[in-house]
Amino acid sequence: MLLSAAAVRAQTPEQLFQQGNLMYQQGRLPEAREAYEGLLAAGYVAGDIYYNLGNTYYRTGDIGHAILNYERALRYIPGDEDLRHNLQLANLLITDRIEAAPRLFFWDYWEGLKNAFSVNGASWLFVLTFFLVFASLVVVVLARRYRSKRLALAVTALGIVACALSLVLLVAKVSDFTRTDEGIVTTPISTVKNSPDEKASDAFVLHTGVKVRVVDRVSEWLEIRLADGKVGWVEKKTVEMI
Amino acid sequence: MIGRAIWRSLALAGMLTCALARSDSQSITFQASVDKNPVGLGDQIVLTFTLSNAGTGVKNLHMPDLSAFRIMAGPNQASSFQMINGAVSSSVTFTCVLQPKEVGKFTIGEASVEAGGKEYRSSSFTVEVVKGSTPARKESAGQENLDAQIGDNLFLKASVDKAHCIQGEQVNVTFKLYTRVSVLNYAVSKNPALSGFWSEDVEMPKNIALSTETLNGKQYRVGIIRRIALFATQSGSLEIGPMEAQTTIQVQQQRTADPFDAFFRDPFGRNVNCAVRSEPIKLKVDPLPEGAPGEFKGAVGQFAMSAGVDKRTARTNDPVSLKITISGTGNIKLLESPAVQVPPDFEQYTPKVTETINRGGDRITGSKTFELLFIPRYPGLKVIEPITFYYFDLGRREYVKLRSPQLELNVEQGAAPLAPAMGGGAREDVRILSQDIRFIKVAQPSFARVGERFHRSWWFILLLAIPVLGFAGAFVYARQRQADMLDEAGYRQRRAIRVARNGLKQAEYLLKEKSGAKGEPSSLQRTRFYAEVSRALWKYLGDKLGLPQSEFSVEHAVEALKDQHVESGLVHGLKVLLEHCDLARFAPTSHQMSAMQKTYDEARRLIVELERTLK
Repeated sequence: MLLSAAAVRAQTPEQLFQQGNLMYQQGRLPEAREAYEGLLAAGYVAGDIYYNLGNTYYRTGDIGHAILNYERALRYIPGDEDLRHNLQLANLLITDRIEAAPRLFFWDYWEGLKNAFSVNGASWLFVLTFFLVFASLVVVVLARRYRSKRLALAVTALGIVACALSLVLLVAKVSDFTRTDEGIVTTPISTVKNSPDEKASDAFVLHTGVKVRVVDRVSEWLEIRLADGKVGWVEKKTVEMI
Repeated sequence: MIGRAIWRSLALAGMLTCALARSDSQSITFQASVDKNPVGLGDQIVLTFTLSNAGTGVKNLHMPDLSAFRIMAGPNQASSFQMINGAVSSSVTFTCVLQPKEVGKFTIGEASVEAGGKEYRSSSFTVEVVKGSTPARKESAGQENLDAQIGDNLFLKASVDKAHCIQGEQVNVTFKLYTRVSVLNYAVSKNPALSGFWSEDVEMPKNIALSTETLNGKQYRVGIIRRIALFATQSGSLEIGPMEAQTTIQVQQQRTADPFDAFFRDPFGRNVNCAVRSEPIKLKVDPLPEGAPGEFKGAVGQFAMSAGVDKRTARTNDPVSLKITISGTGNIKLLESPAVQVPPDFEQYTPKVTETINRGGDRITGSKTFELLFIPRYPGLKVIEPITFYYFDLGRREYVKLRSPQLELNVEQGAAPLAPAMGGGAREDVRILSQDIRFIKVAQPSFARVGERFHRSWWFILLLAIPVLGFAGAFVYARQRQADMLDEAGYRQRRAIRVARNGLKQAEYLLKEKSGAKGEPSSLQRTRFYAEVSRALWKYLGDKLGLPQSEFSVEHAVEALKDQHVESGLVHGLKVLLEHCDLARFAPTSHQMSAMQKTYDEARRLIVELERTLK
C-alpha cells in the first residue's frame, strides 16, 4: 500500500492511467483498480478514469461498484455511447427489478437534452449563445439600413431565447453535477428498515447496484427513496454516494 | 422264569388297559382354539371350536361374545371322520375368521353346543392383540421338514460377467435357479432394484433350457430365468438388488409313524409354494478416463455414424430432413443428438428421435436416429457443417471422434416467396452473439483537478465580459455617430480640412505631371490646376464657415472670416490668392510653372493657418 502510494507520487497522471490500462489488458484487475483509484486519490478526475474503473469492477464481478463508477463517469461524459451501453448491461445484472414510475414524455426530452451535454459543454453552449445575442445586438446598433437592422433584431430575439434555455440547461447541469443525494447500494445484500434503528422492522431487502436517493440523514442512518417510490432507512455504509 | 412270565403278563395287561383307556378316551369333548396368540392388529385369526366324538346330531351352537373382533367369515361347520385300528373317531369343527379391532387382551368366552341331547361348553381363554403384525408362526412340524428338505436344494443365484467395469460399459447379470427338487413353475415376484443403471432385459427363450452344474459336490439342474444388461450411469460402488421369485415345487412327504397317514400319501409328492431370493451383488464402477472432449456426451461402446439430407435440391419453404443415424454396440438409449450447425436462415424444428434396440444377443446393439426438420427460407447454396460425434471406445480405451462429410443443399426459390410484412426483402437483424461490456478508454483523456470546472473559471467570466464590452463600445460609437449626423455644420467643419487636402492633392498631381514633360504646362492643365486650387479653397471655406454654396463670393468669405476674428493679414492673403486663381484661370501669365508652384504653396500655407485659427 505504501509502495503503491509512492508509485503514485512518482508517476505523472498520464503514466498512471496508461499503467492502469495495461494492467486491465493483462487481466491484472486489482492492480488496474489500484492505478485508477490512485489517480483519483491524487486529485485527478476524468470521465474516462471512472469508466475504466467501472469496467475493472465489472470484470471482478462487483456490480455495485461498477455501477457506482459508471454513474460517476456519467457526470463527466454523459453522451458517451460506450458508457451508456456498459451501464445498461451492468443494470441488467442487478437482482432487484425496480420499475420507475412513468413520467411525461417532456421529461424524457429534457433528460435527453441534459445527457447530450457535459457541464463544460453546457458552459460553452451558454457562452456561444451569449456571444450570438450580443453580436446581433451590435449589428442592430450599427446597421445603417433598416432591413439589416430588422434582420439582426430577429436574430437577437432568437438568440435571447437560446441563451435563456442554455442558461437553464447550465444551471440544471451544474446542480446535477454537484448533487450529493444520489447513491448506489454497494453491499451484496442489505435490509432496509422502517426507521433508523437496528431493532426496527424490516421494510424490504435491497441487493447490490440499486440506485437510491438519499432523502434524510440521521447519524449512521440514511433515509433512502427508490425510483419506484419505496422509502426506508439503511445504514450509512451500505450506500456509496455518486 | 416265572417272574418273567409274570412281567410279560403284566405288560400285556397294561397294554390291554391302555387300549381300553384309549377307547374310553373317545368321550365327547368341546374345545376352543385360535391359530395364533398373540395376534397383530392387522392380522386375522382363525377361531376354531372342535367337538370330538359327538357323532351326529350336533346343533344349536352358541357363539361367545366376539364384539372385540370383526367377524370376517364364518362360522363354518366341517365334519371329519377317522377310523384308526377299528376305533372310530369323529369331529365337528366350527371355524370363524376374526380380525381384531384394537390392541389389548380380550377374553373369548364359553361357547356351547348341543349334541346327542346334551349341552357341551368350551372353556374361555384370552387372546392378546398387539400392534403390527406378528410373524407367521411356524406352520407345523411338517413345514420344518419341508424347509430341511428344500434347504440347499433350491436357491436363486445372481452372477455378473464382470465385477469391475467402466461407467457406461455393459455388464450382464444372470439370475439362475439351482434346483435338486422338481420345480413345477416359477414367477418373478420382485424385480431387482437397479439404481444407477440403465437396464435392458435380455430376451429369453420361452422354454428354459436346463443344464447341469455341480456346486459343492452336489449336482444341480440349473435354469437361467432372467438376464439383464446393465449400463452404469454413475461411477462408484453400485449394488444390484436382490430378485425374488415364487416357485412351486413338489416335495416328498416325510414318512410318519402313522401308517394310516402313509396310506393317504400322495404318490407324486405334495405341491409346495416356496419363495427364493438372490443375494445382492456389489459392482465397482470406474469413471471414464480424463480428457473427454467437450462435445462428449456419455456414449460408450462402439459406434458408427451416418448423416444425410433427404434431398440435394430443395425449394424455399419446403421442409428438408436431416437424418443422423448412430448405430453400434453400447448404451444406445443414452445417446444424445450431436450438435448440428445449420445455416442461420434455416428454420429449425425439434428433432424426432427413434431408436431400435436389439436385445437378443450377448451385447446390446441397435441404432438411434435423429431426424431434424428444417425449412430453408432463402435460396442459395447452403452448407451444413460436418457433424461430429464423440464416444468412448471400450476396445481401444480412448475417445473416438466420428465426423460426417460436409452436407450441401441447393435451395431454389420456391413458388411462394416469403413475404415479410415489413418489406425489406432478405434483410435480417444483426444477431448479437453475446453481450459484454465495451473495452476501456485507452486514449489519453484531459485530466481535470477535482473541483476544476470551466463554468467556475476566470475564462468563463472573461468570455462573457467580451461581448458585453464589445456591445458597450458599439453602442457608444453608434450614439456618437448619430449625434454627428444630426450636427451637419459641425460635421462639415470637421471634415473641411480633409476635403481641402484632397482638392490640393489633385492640384499637386496636375502640377507634377506637367513639370517633367515640356517644362511648361499646357493651357488646359493650367486652367484645371487653378480651378482645382480655387475649388479646394472655396470648399474649405464653405465647410469651415458654414457658408451655403449660393453665398460663395470673396466678400462673403472675407466678412465671415472677420467675424471669426481671423487676423487681417491672413484674410488679405486669402483674398489675394482667390482673386489670383480666378484671374490666372482665364489670363495666362509668364513664368507659369513657378507661379503655379507658388500658388499651390500659398494655398497650403493659408489652409494650415486657417485651420489653426478656426479651431
